[in-house]
Parts: sequence; C-alpha cells; structure tokens
Amino acid sequence: MEQAHVGLLQPLSDPSTSCAGCHAEETAARAERYLSFAVTAGPPPPTAPPSSVPPGATSDTTANRVVAALAALLAVALFVALRREVTTTQRSLLLARLRDETPRPYAAGVLLGLVVAFSIVTCGRPIAVSGAFDKLAAYPGRWLFSSSQYYTHVMTPGITWQVWMLVGVLAGSFASSKRAGQASLRWLPDTQWQPRFGTSRKLRLMIAFCGAVLVQVGAGIAGGCTSGLAISGGVVLAPAAFLFMAGMFAGGIPTAWLWYRGRAS
Amino acid sequence: MLDIAKALALGALFGWSLHRAGLTHYARIVNVYRLRDMTVMRFMLTALVVGAVAVQAGVDLGFATGVPTPPTSMLANVVGGAVFGIGMATAGYCPGTIVAEAGEGRLDAWIGGLSGLLVGAVVFGLLQPHIMPTLASIGVVGRVTFATLTGASPWLVLFVFAEIVVLVLTLIARVGRQTT
Repeated sequence: MEQAHVGLLQPLSDPSTSCAGCHAEETAARAERYLSFAVTAGPPPPTAPPSSVPPGATSDTTANRVVAALAALLAVALFVALRREVTTTQRSLLLARLRDETPRPYAAGVLLGLVVAFSIVTCGRPIAVSGAFDKLAAYPGRWLFSSSQYYTHVMTPGITWQVWMLVGVLAGSFASSKRAGQASLRWLPDTQWQPRFGTSRKLRLMIAFCGAVLVQVGAGIAGGCTSGLAISGGVVLAPAAFLFMAGMFAGGIPTAWLWYRGRAS
Repeated sequence: MLDIAKALALGALFGWSLHRAGLTHYARIVNVYRLRDMTVMRFMLTALVVGAVAVQAGVDLGFATGVPTPPTSMLANVVGGAVFGIGMATAGYCPGTIVAEAGEGRLDAWIGGLSGLLVGAVVFGLLQPHIMPTLASIGVVGRVTFATLTGASPWLVLFVFAEIVVLVLTLIARVGRQTT
C-alpha cells in the first residue's frame, strides 16, 4: 500500500483536497487507513497562512530600502524647496480648500489608496466594512438561532479589528463633515430624493433599510463589499474584486433605470 | 492596544476620505448607476491605482509578511455583486458609506442603514447553508491575483492595470456628465 503513495507529500492536513483527487468516493475511510500506516515520511510541508499570497521575491531588500530612503529624502528636499515658492496667500487658500465642501474625489482617492495599502502591508488586514457587521450581527444571530452551525463554525461573534475600524470611520467622517460645515442631523437625502420619493421619512427609512439588507446579503455572497472586496481586493489585483464590480453594475444599472424610468432629473 | 489604535486611525482616514470624496450623498451614489455622475468611479479607480502601487512597493521593500487576498469564486462574486448593486442603486449607499453618512448625522443611515446591515447579516446567516454550496462551487479559482494567475512580473501587470485605469478615467472625464 505504501508503494501506491510513493512520492506523494504527506496530505495529513487536508485529505479532502489531496486524497479526493484519486479516491473520490470514500476519501474519509481511505484517509483513516492511510494514517494508520503512514510512517514519518518527514515533516509535513510548511503551509503558508491560508488567507495570504506569499510576497514576491524580495531580490535585494536592502538595496530597495536604500534607494527608497534616497527617494524619500529627495522628496523631503523637494517639498522644502517648493514650499519657499508658495506665498502666504496661497497657503490660506489651501486652508480654505479644506473647509470647502466641494467634493474632491481624486485627492480623496489618493488618500484612500494609501490608507488601504498601509492597512494591507503593515497590518496584514484589508479595509473591510461588511465583515465587521457580520461579526456584530453574530451576537443576536447566535442568540436567535442557537442551533445554527453558521454561528458556531463559520461566523462567530466578535469585536474584531474591523469593528474598531468602523468606529474610526464614524469619527473620521464626522471630522470631515464638521470641517466642511455639513455635520447636522437630517432624515432625508439632500438632493434628488424628494422630487422622486416625496418627503415621507417612513418611506426613506423603509427603502434605506431594504437597500441595506440587500447590500449586506450581496456582500455575504460575494465575500465582501466595496471596501473589503472591490478596493482591498482590487489593490492586490484579485479577479474577485473586478468580477464583483461587474456584478454591481449589472445589478445596479437596471435597478436605477427602473426607479427613475421616465424622469428627467 | 496598538492594533486597535491603528484600526481607529485607519478607519478615521477612511471615513474622512469617503466624506471628502462626496460619497455621503444618496444622489451621488445612485447617479453612478444612472451613468450621470462618475465621482464614485473617479474616487475608486484613483484609490485602486495608488493603492496597488503602494502595496507592491511595500511588499518589495519587505514590509509585508503576507498579502490578504480574497478568494475568487466567479459565480458568487458576480451574483453577490448583482444583489449588492440592486441594494446600492435603491438606497443610495453601501456599508462603508452608511457608516460615513452616520458620522455626518444622517438619521436614515443610523436607523435604516445600520439596522438593515445587521438584519441583512442575520438573513445571510440563515441563507448561507442553503445557497452558498451551489453558488460557491462554480468558477472557484482560489486566492489568486492577476500576477499569480498569469505568472507575469507583478510590476508589469500593475503597469498594464494603471494604463487601463488612466484610460477609463480619461474616457469618464470626456464623456461623463456631473449633476450634483
């Protein structure tokens, strides 16, 4: 029997993947028999953390770091040199820009890109919002459906890193709103909603609620939301991110058309 | 402790950028699906290019121990995206912007949005054992990236990606109309 498995690496970690290739029908039974005679064929191959793709070959990390440090120094020098050129009037204009409520998608996009990259590279974590809600909802979920395997095996309740990240989002958005003078309590969207849906708060709450339910279910199916899958997955160039975005538009474009069919604005 | 501090700080910058980009508005989100306001795409695509370059640089400089990669499961990614898009085009927000709008003081996000996300999570928990085995069985590729998939050099793949993004952004700028 040993001869039949010559050359195969010890598949003790995952029989369903390694054994099922040749023994599809009774993988479990065969795996047990194999385990009984599998002698020390050497240590099992090291398994990389399941969620990570190992980093690219760092050909010469020291050289990279030296050049990067030089680049950073030059950037600082450039900043100091150019700063002298900026007059005081221009500097107060810059501050006024911060208080300006005009949206700045490109600048904000640069910031978000750096934030996501920092999170992924130094914290090893994606910026992912829907997962945090899955974890939080597991508290009432487990209480309501105590017999469900989902809450014991797949989604255990927890206050994760992502949950804390959410608290940060609240604070950050509040800070930016305050700066722009836009932080205020309100029930309805500022534009476009009332001409289409009227002034009823109840209707807005109902539609807001249903939309959020759909969004969270969709994120569960896809494996993430715009932040967790599209952006955090997109920056590592995972196909999943772009498939998700394609799906978003495939679902969203007809939906928006249906809601606004025959209306000009 | 430092871990939590980083989470709070990164979240704060994320929330700031969402608001700064103008994404805490129902109209701005819905209008991207009406192909009238491309602010969302400009924001996201910029973030993708800058982020991708920064991630690859960070990896090559030796700062990353592993890169969290979402699994590509083609049917689930697309179907999930479609359901997500229906909800987003209806209510005018996504999980991240719900929280950002809450930070802005929007009570429809606080009451309708946050509860909807929690209920949605529970609904998914109930649906999961019934729908996911099928949905997650078609087009399973695994935790891959376009670089690992093609075997090409990551920077080369990144360069092509950046070119595509700049092309799309240029087209958007030329063709798109902005309302809000």
